[in-house]
Amino acid sequence: MDFTKIIPEATEEIFATMIFMEVTSDPALDQKPEVLGCHISAMIGLSGGLTAMLGIHCPEQVGLAIAGGMLGMELDEVDADVKDALGEIANMVAGGIKERLRDENIDLELAIPTAVAGKSYTISAPKGSNRVVIPFTLEQGQFFIEIKYHLN
Amino acid sequence: MGKTVLIVDDSNTMRKIVSRALRQAGIDFSTILEAGDGQEALGVLEANQVDVILSDINMPNMNGLEFLKAKSENPAIKDIPVVMISTETGADIIDEAKSYGAKGAIKKPFTPDLINETLGALL
Repeated sequence: MDFTKIIPEATEEIFATMIFMEVTSDPALDQKPEVLGCHISAMIGLSGGLTAMLGIHCPEQVGLAIAGGMLGMELDEVDADVKDALGEIANMVAGGIKERLRDENIDLELAIPTAVAGKSYTISAPKGSNRVVIPFTLEQGQFFIEIKYHLN
Repeated sequence: MGKTVLIVDDSNTMRKIVSRALRQAGIDFSTILEAGDGQEALGVLEANQVDVILSDINMPNMNGLEFLKAKSENPAIKDIPVVMISTETGADIIDEAKSYGAKGAIKKPFTPDLINETLGALL
């Protein structure tokens, strides 16, 4: 269960097939700050063989570019469509994780994604959770995909 | 007369993406109807003649499997073909969907070519 491999694979597949933007993954962060300096986050819960929260965290301009790529239009404000688009990316990344972990005999169930936008928020996980944060770079800037999890 | 498709997904973005992918795949529907969950889809089917349904599985209120089951119990709509479009691709879930009449499944993320390949056989 190597999330540093699984998350980039799943994310790059989504960007190549449905968003049509070039994205590169960077090495997982060693130092993992609680606040990633982002203004839009979409999250989805996973349960079953592990309990996890997967999130995608973006600065505003990056979130607008990603949602615009998905919808095929230019967007200039963070509205329900932008949050919905990022929620779908979280959903598809979680689906990619589910598919890959099935090969390791870990069965997962996915919840419904949710998204928040704001200028000052933190997202907490239960104490003792493992945490992996992968940065991704687009032409418009950087975003992060994070998973907080513990095995059941 | 042109054909009508119903897209069922709780994500407005995904409904737009599926509509765009249908156009990119060269599948010409005269009418594209949308529903945000299974319950809403049943309402749309009561009021409209639909040729094919593309449905997500993981949705609030009434999910895709519950929708398929309810549809299979209604003689007026049970024969409308359904293709699932979902991140849920486990054999158990797909088998359950097929047991309620689903004709195929497309994994998210998907390409227009995959939509064309799957729907082409049904239209």
